[in-house]
Amino acid sequence: MIDIRPIFFIVGILLTVLGVCMLIPAAVDALSDDADWQVFTGSAVVTGFTGNVLILAFRGTGRLKLRLREAFLLTVLSWFGIACFAALPFLFSNLNLSVADAVFEAISGITTTGSTILTGLDSMPRGILLWRSLLQGIGGIGIIVMAIALLPLLQVGGMQLFRMESSDRSEKVTPRLRQMTAEISALYLGFIAACAISYWVAGMTPFEAVNHALTTISTGGYSTTDASFAKFQGAAVHWLAIAFMLIGGITFTLYVRSLHGDPFAVFRDSQVRWFLGILTAAIAAVAVWIIVNQGIDVGTAIRLAAFNVVSIVTTTGYASADYYQWGSFAVCAFYLLTFVGGCTGSTAGAMKVFRFQVLYAVASQQLARLLVPHRVTVPKVEGREITDSVAISVLNFFFFYAFTFAAVALCLAMFGLDLVTAISGSATAVGNVGPGLGPVIGPAGNFSSLPDGAKWVLSLGMLLGRLEFVTIFVLLTPSFWRD
Amino acid sequence: MIDFRPIFFVLGILLVTLSLGMGGPALADVIAGQNDWQVFMGSSATCLFVGVALILTMRTERVRFTLRQAFLLTTLSWAVIALFGALPFAFSDLGLSFTDAVFESMSGITTTGATVITKLDDAPPGLLLWRAILQWLGGIGIIVMAISVLPMLQVGGMQLFHMESTDQSEKALPRVAQVTSAIIIIYFGLSALCATSYWLAGMSGFDAVAHAMTTVATGGYSTFDQSVGFFKNDAIEWVAVVFMAAGALPFVLYLQFVRGNLLMLVRDSQVQTFFGIVFCAITVLVVWQVAVDQVPIGTSIRLVAFNLISVITGTGYATTDFGLWGEFSVTVFFFAMFIGGCAGSTTCGLKIFRLQVLYANTRCQIKKLMQPHGVFIPHFNRRPIPAAASESVLSFFFLYIMAFGALSIGLGWMGLDFITAVSGAASAIANVGPGLGPVIGPAGTYAPLPDAAKWMLSFGMLLGRLELFTVLVLLTPAFWRT
Repeated sequence: MIDIRPIFFIVGILLTVLGVCMLIPAAVDALSDDADWQVFTGSAVVTGFTGNVLILAFRGTGRLKLRLREAFLLTVLSWFGIACFAALPFLFSNLNLSVADAVFEAISGITTTGSTILTGLDSMPRGILLWRSLLQGIGGIGIIVMAIALLPLLQVGGMQLFRMESSDRSEKVTPRLRQMTAEISALYLGFIAACAISYWVAGMTPFEAVNHALTTISTGGYSTTDASFAKFQGAAVHWLAIAFMLIGGITFTLYVRSLHGDPFAVFRDSQVRWFLGILTAAIAAVAVWIIVNQGIDVGTAIRLAAFNVVSIVTTTGYASADYYQWGSFAVCAFYLLTFVGGCTGSTAGAMKVFRFQVLYAVASQQLARLLVPHRVTVPKVEGREITDSVAISVLNFFFFYAFTFAAVALCLAMFGLDLVTAISGSATAVGNVGPGLGPVIGPAGNFSSLPDGAKWVLSLGMLLGRLEFVTIFVLLTPSFWRD
Repeated sequence: MIDFRPIFFVLGILLVTLSLGMGGPALADVIAGQNDWQVFMGSSATCLFVGVALILTMRTERVRFTLRQAFLLTTLSWAVIALFGALPFAFSDLGLSFTDAVFESMSGITTTGATVITKLDDAPPGLLLWRAILQWLGGIGIIVMAISVLPMLQVGGMQLFHMESTDQSEKALPRVAQVTSAIIIIYFGLSALCATSYWLAGMSGFDAVAHAMTTVATGGYSTFDQSVGFFKNDAIEWVAVVFMAAGALPFVLYLQFVRGNLLMLVRDSQVQTFFGIVFCAITVLVVWQVAVDQVPIGTSIRLVAFNLISVITGTGYATTDFGLWGEFSVTVFFFAMFIGGCAGSTTCGLKIFRLQVLYANTRCQIKKLMQPHGVFIPHFNRRPIPAAASESVLSFFFLYIMAFGALSIGLGWMGLDFITAVSGAASAIANVGPGLGPVIGPAGTYAPLPDAAKWMLSFGMLLGRLELFTVLVLLTPAFWRT
């Protein structure tokens, strides 16, 4: 029997925190004399009230004990719950958004995807803009905590390799884990602050700087302007963005390790090396292509290529140009890069580099085994052995990813989307990247013109991707609910 | 050091066979009064010469193959046949470049069915027959490979189809040889049945034979630019549906059927899954067409059944430009390209058994999430799947997608637009034939593509046909070290 008390208790806490967060945009709106402060205050009250009710109703005695099943249910319910309540400000505002629109925007925020159904961002009330960025900021740290603490416990998609080298007894949240989480949260906030200051120095207004800092470090991609980073002409801003997107896309525990006396831990990690290697290769290829094909000068080409490639691979989703116009190779490259992702334990989404390392190691082993079928070799990544169960776990994840991608694409096509929009929309949602391809949802477009059904499908896709599929799939099996 | 002599010996035999095969088209051209018979005689002579030279110089006492030699032979035989099979195309007056000739030949022998020839209706009968023969040979080649070679090489999960003999390869060989020759006879029979059916339904004798060869081989070459749509004949289309499906079932089961084991065909899990998927897909598309496009239901069933089975089995005939059916259908067809038929048939793609293994594995994976210390074993065909086989299939799936991605990027670099690059890559690796979009879609051909793109696609076709690993293993340094 599943004990729902701790689950709803924690969800209540999360909702209360969310409600409090809603007061920040409320304050900003009140200060700029925008009537929207009522929207946020109202939403804050509703959310906070619900949260408090849950806390009071499900308050138990003694320590919180979460078994495996409760952990799964908690993960899914908290993300769904936060998404629904986070949609309230969008719904109540006078932007005339349907429920599908509001939920889409909220989920795109909390999963740090960055796809938007809003147009006319430049003239929108500040509260709404700040709320979008805050959602991504919250989503970013939520992902890291989930990746470090929760997913290894649940042995989702190969993540068990990242288990804290502390106890094997999964029920205890060890002090080491708590300390790690605290340090990472501090680093996260520190990076956001540094990023905001850098943006401001480079020329953004303070409001723009804070908003973009929130969505850069969280590799979310929401902007305060329709044109995304194309609006900012100075090269400095773009290079800063590249640097901070990279920071957001690298394993945060490595930063902690650097602080504890191992300054080069980041560069020694093989996942980081693969990550940077893939980026360099992609940037070089795209840069060469646009120099040859579009006749852009070398300096600008490198900057354009670097910005957009890093944006897509870290699953941020800013665009500094409409790269859909760059020609066939660029379009294909950006499409495939949508699947790659950043490093594990960062804010990035998609497959993640570590999984490609494992898959590559397993595939090489398979090839080697063809010649010597009875030799027993164990593939290694970063000195750690890839056991059979980890290998199969990652291989299965790859299949889940492909399957979900195909299913979402087919559903989108059912709602009338053309092939390019369907397969790029699916890819970008499941990978939590942001922009798709094509004239509709490409870097120069947005998701507003899609039918409501398609928006719901995409919302589901974003959640599936962020929660690494199995977390949700396991809830659909009958044996989960039996016992 | 790898001993190349047995390899070249077998290649010699294959080339002699190929040269004999060129006799048919030569005859057809003579009868039709076309000058092309000279082309075929010349190509045949070249093949014969090289083949006999190889046989005589590389003759060894024992023909026993090590694992390395087997891998090398598999890849080389397909590549060599594709190269020499290109001779008639290169020498003909169709004005085909060397690139085009190899592309057409590779597309034939891998039963892909993508073509660079733009005016099929005016082409001499010899060439049309040669295209069909290439696909027909390719079809039986795949089956033989799937039954005898791939399980031994343990490529991509094929070890699940090992003949239930002992592990020692000497004992397995006579049984395998027996089964193989029986299946070749069945293949002949099925093709003859198909040709007769086509003829009865209204095709001319020549067309019937040419189409039968490419139907049973699930290749897709036609003697007309408009493919089977040219005939505008319902009966012909239904015959095609039946025999395309027949080509997609495991031929070993036909053998069992002939031997009196009637139920095995029906009870085989791969066959059931195949028809299950096909049935679902057809239903969904028909419902869509009737509801959204208001197509009359009878027409819709025929159109959908034909084109969907054509794409899933990797045949590649077209009756209409299914690119015009609306975006949902196009997306369905795009993903259907990857599926394929059953293992041990003439089809390509991922193959049904791999999808079954993938699904069985994911079910166990999910159960394991809830009970991390439980022991869950995936099953295929009511037997447990060994972990090595699961990993093999899962890795195959990964490499398949990677190869598809790499090929798309390569085609993009050559200037192909997004849809053409992506659908071309999928179509080549899955050996389907037509792509999507205005250039290489069912209404187009591969002729306008740049040469480099055609070479990439040819390589992709070979890679897909040989189930990736067989070719990739040749690229690892460990293969060439002793």
